[in-house]
Amino acid sequence: MSSTATDSADVICADDLRVVYPAGKRGGTGTRAVDGVTFRVRRGEIFGFLGPNGAGKTTTISVLTTLLAPSSGRATVAGLDTTVSAPEVRRRIGLVFQSSTADSELTGRENLTLEAGLYGFSPAEIAPRIEEVLRRVELSAVADRLVSTYSGGMRRRLELAAGLIHDPKIVFLDEPTLGLDPQGRAGFWRYIRDLRDTEGITVFLTTHYLEEADQLCDRIAIIDHGQIIATGSPGELKDRMGGDTLSVRTAPGAGDLEPVVRAIPGITAVLREDGGYRLKCARGDALVSKVVLAAQSAGISIEQLAVHKPSLDEVFLELTGHAYREEGTGADEPAEGPVPPAAASPTATAPSKHGGA
Amino acid sequence: MYREIVSLMRREYLKWIRAPTWVISGLLSPVLYLVLFGQAFDLAKLLPPNVPGSTIVRVLLGAPNYFSYFAIGMVAFAAATAAMFSGTGVIFDKQLGIQQRIISTPTSRGAIFSAYLLFRGVLTLIPAFLVIGLALLLAYVPGLAGLTVPSGVTGLGLAEVLLAILTLSLAFTALFLAFGFSAGKIESYFGVVTILQLPILLTSNAMYPSGTMPPWLQHVVAVNPISLAVNVMRANLFGASGYPYSPGIYLAGLVGWAAVLIALASFLAYRSFQSGVVRSDPGEWGPAP
Repeated sequence: MSSTATDSADVICADDLRVVYPAGKRGGTGTRAVDGVTFRVRRGEIFGFLGPNGAGKTTTISVLTTLLAPSSGRATVAGLDTTVSAPEVRRRIGLVFQSSTADSELTGRENLTLEAGLYGFSPAEIAPRIEEVLRRVELSAVADRLVSTYSGGMRRRLELAAGLIHDPKIVFLDEPTLGLDPQGRAGFWRYIRDLRDTEGITVFLTTHYLEEADQLCDRIAIIDHGQIIATGSPGELKDRMGGDTLSVRTAPGAGDLEPVVRAIPGITAVLREDGGYRLKCARGDALVSKVVLAAQSAGISIEQLAVHKPSLDEVFLELTGHAYREEGTGADEPAEGPVPPAAASPTATAPSKHGGA
Repeated sequence: MYREIVSLMRREYLKWIRAPTWVISGLLSPVLYLVLFGQAFDLAKLLPPNVPGSTIVRVLLGAPNYFSYFAIGMVAFAAATAAMFSGTGVIFDKQLGIQQRIISTPTSRGAIFSAYLLFRGVLTLIPAFLVIGLALLLAYVPGLAGLTVPSGVTGLGLAEVLLAILTLSLAFTALFLAFGFSAGKIESYFGVVTILQLPILLTSNAMYPSGTMPPWLQHVVAVNPISLAVNVMRANLFGASGYPYSPGIYLAGLVGWAAVLIALASFLAYRSFQSGVVRSDPGEWGPAP
């Protein structure tokens, strides 16, 4: 099926994906929700697709999960083209939507039985599997309650259970922890790590929480305005920031620390700030003792010393030139549905983040 | 394929038995028509007392009394009324994301549509058969008019009657499913349904013979699916001599209606499935169009 020379370890491949939404009824040009996205996801990794609301995350996940045909470009999942072999792809992937999709007038178990039936399993043959996924997401005790009585966290876990019912080896999660409290989020991270660690499942997740991507993902792609602006492990991305910062505060009246620390190999830059210094270096932890010893031997007493690891916030700011937009600012999405490739007018492709409602 | 359809119908069944108000409300108006309107209003009594009974039978196209004539009309009306709720489930499924979940599975679009049509079609049949049962029962209640069927109905005739009810139910179910698949909100759906309900009934011969109507209305009545179904049933139960065409012709017309409406509904369903796919949280995408 897959004609491109993709490494077999790459289970999800996106090649120059573009999705153009048509111009709104009130005029305006079309919106490029996804504008030339290319990346690879390796087998058994947790891959995070990180970006602010409206960056194109849900559109990308919709293409990868066969729910939306790209305007151009190509995506393969498990070596299968997502437009040509959509049903085969669907059978191999689990999908967890960001909004609740369970029928709240049914019980949790009934929802899972329905989901299994939609994959062609009979209720009898799927019963043990349902028990297993219920146990995995810790819903066994409430399985026979109507979903309308579930808490938000329980609903999210039921969504995950439904996505796992047919034992997929690739799982897509669209904003899995959106709206969960910190405890619920930590629990969800545990389930996701557990999938990778115990079953070798490849996890593709979108998130707009930097912390989530940092904590959970083996590799991250950062997307903004429909384009990928960086890919790598959280550590690699942070290394691009020029490494760590040591902030040092000396005692009042102490001598000048700058010539002392400049002599230490590994310190790449020294910045003075009010009452102290900021020392740039690749690995701050390793230089702490050297800085302290050098200061001591120069007779400078240090009051405070801290190592700052760069955060993904800083990475994001560095890459995009704008601060990370938080939840609720992504109202610049198109109000119209997607167009199939044939219907997408080539003249209506001017990038416009303001063309929507 | 069948397993997916059964799973989807089972979901609808579980929801239905937990909220039977839908059925009761769909059933109520035809039953009220039978026990109130049908008892009070008798076309035959409007004729002068010296008109012989045979003339009345001729006016009613073979029916032994007005109630029997009317009851058959109410069978079709009950099906049409019950079908009017068919599209509501579709709208809720779209709004609550359930449709999104269903279409993301390998289940074919055809199976998803078939499950909607079959389950809602069966729900539409139930009131139709209940009306027949009630109308027949009323004949045994002293002081009330009931449905009396002259002897001599053939097995084939009975089969055509059942087929007419079945086809009419599917046709109207498909019509209202079509509205459900194209409506974004429940309000706009019921707006359309409310507008349609009376015209569908009043442009048919469900309640009175079309002979007294102005010619333009007679043309509309002749092609109304309710009239076609009612003609099949009355001609087979009361005698076909008063009708210009044989029951088979009316049945063929009805099947044609059903085929067109099912095709329309499946087209709109497919379109809805295609456009519903990227609907995510309303914050990111706005409400579904």
